[in-house]
Amino acid sequence: MEAINSTETNPFGYAEPIWQRFTHPRHVGEFAQGTPGVVSAEAGSKAARSVLRLQLRFEGGRVADVRFRAYGCPSSIAVGAWIVDWSLGKTPVELAALGAADLRKALEIADDRAHCALLGEDALQAALASYAAKS
Amino acid sequence: MIYLDYAATTPLDPRVLQAMLPHLTADGSFANPASTHGPGYKARAAVERARAQVAALLGAEAPEIVWTSGATESNNLAIKGALEFNGGHNGRSPHIVTSRTEHKCVLDTCRHLETQGVRVTFLRPGTDGVVSPEQVLEALTPETVLVSLMWVNNEIGVVQEVQRLAPLLRERGVLFHVDAVQAAGKLPIDLRVIPIDLLSVSAHKIYGPKGAGALYVRKKPRARLAPQMHGGGHEWGMRSGTLATHQIAGMGAAFEIAAAQLQDDARRVAGLRDLLWQRLQALPRILRNGDPQRAAPHVLNVSFEGVEGEALRASLPDLAVSSGSACSSATQEPSYVLRALGRDDELANASLRFSLGRGTTAEQIEQAAESVIKQVQWLRELSPLWKP
Repeated sequence: MEAINSTETNPFGYAEPIWQRFTHPRHVGEFAQGTPGVVSAEAGSKAARSVLRLQLRFEGGRVADVRFRAYGCPSSIAVGAWIVDWSLGKTPVELAALGAADLRKALEIADDRAHCALLGEDALQAALASYAAKS
Repeated sequence: MIYLDYAATTPLDPRVLQAMLPHLTADGSFANPASTHGPGYKARAAVERARAQVAALLGAEAPEIVWTSGATESNNLAIKGALEFNGGHNGRSPHIVTSRTEHKCVLDTCRHLETQGVRVTFLRPGTDGVVSPEQVLEALTPETVLVSLMWVNNEIGVVQEVQRLAPLLRERGVLFHVDAVQAAGKLPIDLRVIPIDLLSVSAHKIYGPKGAGALYVRKKPRARLAPQMHGGGHEWGMRSGTLATHQIAGMGAAFEIAAAQLQDDARRVAGLRDLLWQRLQALPRILRNGDPQRAAPHVLNVSFEGVEGEALRASLPDLAVSSGSACSSATQEPSYVLRALGRDDELANASLRFSLGRGTTAEQIEQAAESVIKQVQWLRELSPLWKP
């Protein structure tokens, strides 16, 4: 889904990986209720103006499909979009290795937006905890 | 790119540019207007012509206009100058009444004076953005030297009741300063009939150059100020410094054009503002900030439920508008004006100020409305919290 169809390229000076994910996020939405193998997790709060919801569908011990929704600044939306893309095909062990520092590096998240990377780490860890509880 | 930020600044009118150019180069009137030789007198004539042009838009006399570098300086001079000249003579702390929704240059000037022992009452407007004259009168004390209120709020466009308040303050012998930066050239101002003592205006909000402003200082009865810029005693001792002839000539031309076009401009721009608001109604759960019955023609401020402010702004890269979100300003707080109106942090953050001007067209408004509607819908769809 193309969210922003603009003739202006990133006039606000966001890091390019953030701008790309923010303007062209993929896998937005959620799975139909009762879809087998789906784990869901949410991190953040409305009060903090950032909420990230991840859904990972596992098949044969790997992530076969993904969905996300996000409320927050462009960086937190980009974090959600990046995580679900990156998760495809990964095992829980591989997913567990991703931390906030990796997210900051991948998306070039500045110091003052470090909390957006933590939001992503929290949501992914919560999804893995949910997967472990189900398994 | 659609520019809808005319309340922040405007482009120079080409006629204004032409009025400025002759005052810069050797073949023109570049001389110091304070010099007592032929070229100096020529520059002085340009300055005085501009003074009359600015005075005409305000219903003032030319000698009541003091040139400054802009409205921030005008507001500083009015407030600090009035307090320094008039306050504290009886050994008690002088007092100012102002509102929480003033421009930062008024608020910060008042806060600075607080550190010097001045007492300041910051009135809270109603949820409609209006500070009632009754509120102001109730806040007066025997020590009140000055009331400072803006005519039109720069963020929400609300027109304050300065015309009703001015005679009430005059009766009580309290000086009245009005920041009219967003009112000049937008609303009729006639200082012959409204007893305002001090009034700040700026050139660049009405198609004049940046770096030029003025303070109206009433002669009858005379509003007395202590100068804040000391030097050669320019501007009747109220503001020293060599006058910037080209900037002043530009400001004069801009004010003359504004006077000639005021009614047509206001009618056309208000029509476009209403069109924008009407189009945006396609979105559920949006809120207009400020009383629509007391709205200046050029400003529309809207809060959008269910979207985050920075993402909203970033999702509209083709639209130059001001945002209530933290990242649009130097301070990391949502708009203090919208907070003062009682909007919560989230709504204050998720707001846009559209300000329209001479270059705005109906086609631009249709396009802008379409973009905003599309992006708000998209961000709501993206949100895990949005429940239609």
